[in-house]
Parts: sequence; structure tokens; C-alpha cells
Amino acid sequence: MDSLLSIKNLKVGFSQEEKTVEVVRGVNLDIGHNESLVLAGESGSGKSIMSLAITKILPANARIIAGEVYFGGKDLLKLDEEALVDIRGSSIAYIFQEPSSFLNPVYTIGSQISEAIMLHQHKSREGAGFAALELLQQVRIDDSERIFRSYPHQLSGGMNQRAFIAMSLACKPKLLIADEPTTSLDVTIEVEILQLLMQLKMELGFSLLFITHNLSIAKRIADRVSIMHQGKIVEEGSCAEIFSSPKHFHTKELIQAYEKIGRL
Amino acid sequence: MKNYALIIGIVIIIMLSCIAIFAPLLSPYDPAAINQDSLLLSPSSQHPLGTDSLGRDLLSRIIYGARISLSVGLVAVGIATLIGLLVGSLSGFYVGLLDLILMRLVDVMLCFPTFYLILAVTAIAGPSVFNIMLIIGLTSWMGVARLVRAEILSLKEREFIQAAQAIGATHSRIILRHHIPNALTPVLVNATLGVSAAILIESGLSFLGLGVQPPTASWGNILIESKSTLGVAWWITVFPGLSILITILGFNMLAEGLKKEIG
Repeated sequence: MDSLLSIKNLKVGFSQEEKTVEVVRGVNLDIGHNESLVLAGESGSGKSIMSLAITKILPANARIIAGEVYFGGKDLLKLDEEALVDIRGSSIAYIFQEPSSFLNPVYTIGSQISEAIMLHQHKSREGAGFAALELLQQVRIDDSERIFRSYPHQLSGGMNQRAFIAMSLACKPKLLIADEPTTSLDVTIEVEILQLLMQLKMELGFSLLFITHNLSIAKRIADRVSIMHQGKIVEEGSCAEIFSSPKHFHTKELIQAYEKIGRL
Repeated sequence: MKNYALIIGIVIIIMLSCIAIFAPLLSPYDPAAINQDSLLLSPSSQHPLGTDSLGRDLLSRIIYGARISLSVGLVAVGIATLIGLLVGSLSGFYVGLLDLILMRLVDVMLCFPTFYLILAVTAIAGPSVFNIMLIIGLTSWMGVARLVRAEILSLKEREFIQAAQAIGATHSRIILRHHIPNALTPVLVNATLGVSAAILIESGLSFLGLGVQPPTASWGNILIESKSTLGVAWWITVFPGLSILITILGFNMLAEGLKKEIG
């Protein structure tokens, strides 16, 4: 299969004194070109850590035990820091759960997006600023000039998440990894952000790895769904397959939880 | 409640800075001009703070002394803060062997009784204003280093640092652009306190004759010259002493005020 990103037998653990606790226990995952894959699972199933391991931006006490991550014909896990820095942000970008705390409080939105642009493209500060303003318009921010000059604490969560998406897409990545990007937002904003992501995906043509514990999102945006449970992928299939005939008990649990909320 | 400490501190420091900057305009006499006709005059309308044993105008000397004290304080703290930022950020960012080595270096430096170290070094290197700035700077960066290291250790857990990594920022960029600006608050307070400490050290050194050398006026060396005439000319001791006191008070109040305002 011709895939954009191919994860093979990835194992990640946290070292605690002498012991290593494995939290990702042999994950295999493929993401195709232009595909949107939803990775669903309960909290603590290892899905976030797995996604951070792809470009090795793990917390200090976590380490990769085994596995391969193929992207563009290369195993990312074998690359050195210098080569990885080139890939992060330019080919593989992230958006995260709590936009307000993932933005640096001491810089304006505009200067942070400009920074992301200047890291990977040869542009002057002015040129980058101009591009940043365009990006803000691209993520459907109306008064982009005011937002450009604002600090994160002056904006709402939804607005910050839009700005963060603009920053992540600054260098037109091939893969966008979205780690629960709507969990901290309220429901109406959540819908807007999801719509925005899908629109941008159509316009820019990137692949999306969307991590969530909320299967209703999967139903809305997924081409394929992978269910992760205790560090392993336990079920995988098209969106329709997963919902019509779930096989693994954890998939059933997640669907039940989602349906219960639906009935309320 | 209003932050009186901050306001008073700022007012004192702005006044001192103006005095130091405009010293040639403000001082009524040449601070080094010896005048045999006006030895040890008590404060009067002609010499508002009196004259010293060589007939030099004390007010002019104190005004020029402000230049020395403030520049020593600021430059020394500048040097200390730069070294502290460098050592602290490397130490906090690259935990492990480098951290271990740098922090033990800090411990060793903290073990020295700083003032005697400075005395010994000035005795060897020679007492010039520049040497004093350098030596005070080189012996007072350890607090800053520890502060910055602690800040960065906690900043490392913050999400925006991870986000900076995710957009492909290099280590040096993460340290310089994302860690250090966020760690500056306590450093600023510490630097303000550091200025007053450096001014005190300079005065102490000058008092012992190892600081700023005559005829250049510094508050410390005016004080030592006043020692022999203390019985007959109280003003030569009191006014430079007061100047030091007010300056230290100003910087300490500024630090206190800043702490309240931004801490």
C-alpha cells in the first residue's frame, strides 16, 4: 500500500527509576495520502504519546523502545535532531488540545506565526508577517489585523485554536496531527473548528491524523478509524464498518458511550 | 492598594540617573579642582555641602561620584546577568552531565567569601573602574544562574515549549526565544537587588583603597578621605554616606515594588 506515513511496531515507554513502563506497545498504523484517520481511544491509551513519538518530541522521561516510522522513504526514528527539526512544522505539523497554553504568552499571535514561517522558508520578517496575515484570513479570522497584534491571553480559546492552526499550516505540511484539538472548546466552537479543518484539508490537501476519545467526531470527519486500547491498536476499519459492526469490546464501549450521550 | 515602593523606587532612580547623566551641568565646581582658600568649609550658600581637606567642593564630588556608582552597579549586574542566563539556561535545558558540572561550579563559587576574593583579585589585577565592574560581575552571577535554571526546569513542562518543538524550532531558538523571555521576571527583580549590592561592594572597595582611585571621585573614596577629618568636618562623612543609603534604598524599593507588581 502506498502510504504517506507508516508506523511499524512502535513501542514507547516511560522510565521510572530502574523500570520502564511501556505505554505504546507495538503499534502499526498507516496513513494514506490525503486521508483523514481518526485514532480513538480512552484517556491513557497511549494515543498522544504515540503521536509525539512520530517526530520525537516526547517528554524527557519517555523514550522510544522499538519500531520504525517511515515518512517519505525515511525512518524518522533513525534521523538525527538536525534532520528532524527540518521535518517538524514543514512536513509534519501538530495542533494540540489547549490552544491558549500552547501559544507562547510573551509574543503576539502575528509574531508566532511569522516565526513558524521563517523557520522553514527564506523570508524577511516583513514578508513572513504578510504571509502570517494571509494565513489568519485563510483560517477564517475576520479581523485578522487585530488578531495579528493580539497576545494569546486576549483571545478566546476558539480564536487561539484558529491562530494555532494557521501557525501549523504555515509551511503547508503533508501531515497534520491533531491531538484532541477541540476537547477544551465548547460545542459550537468545536463544530466550527472541525468544519474549518475539513475545509482546509480540501483546499490544501494534507493528510490528517485526528486523535480523540469522542467517536461522534470520528463519524463526522473520518475516512478510517483506528481504535487504540492500552497501547495497542485493537480495531481498524472504515468509518462505516466500525460503527455498523464493531468487533472489539473497547470499540463497543466507545460507541455505547457515544450513543448514551446521543440519547440524553 | 497603590504600589508605593515601586513609585518611590522609580522616582529615586530616575533622579539619580539624571544627576549622573547631567553631572557636568549640575555640579557647581570642578570636582577635582583644589582650592587652598576653601579648606574644610562647612556647608554654606557657596558650597551647599561644604568642602573637603583639599578645598574641593563636596557637592560636585558627590554628583560625579553618582556616575561611578551607577555605572559600576549597572555594568557589573549586566555582566552577572548575562553569565547567569547563559549558565542557568544551559543547565536547565540540558539536564544531565552538563547540568551537574555547571551546578557544582555554582556551588564552588558560592563557597568563596566573595568580598575577599574580589579584594585579592583587585590587588593583583590593579584597581581600575573597569576591573571592578568585571570582577563584581564575575563573582555575582551564581544567584541568577540558579534562578534561571529553576525557571527553565518548570517552563520545560509547559505546553508552548512543546509547540515550539513541534513547529521545528532548534534548541538554541527554543532557549533564546521561548525559555529566556519567559524566565526574565525573577531575573529582573534579582538584577535590581544586584545593582544595590554591587554599589555597596564598590563603595567598600573604594573605602579600603582598592576601588576607584583618586582623584576620580567615588562615594567610597570620599568616605575614606573623610576619616582623618571626621572630628572637625562631619559633612564629608555624612553626605556621601547618605548618598549611598538613598541609592541602595531606591534600588531595593524598586525591586520590592517590581516583585509585588509582576510576581
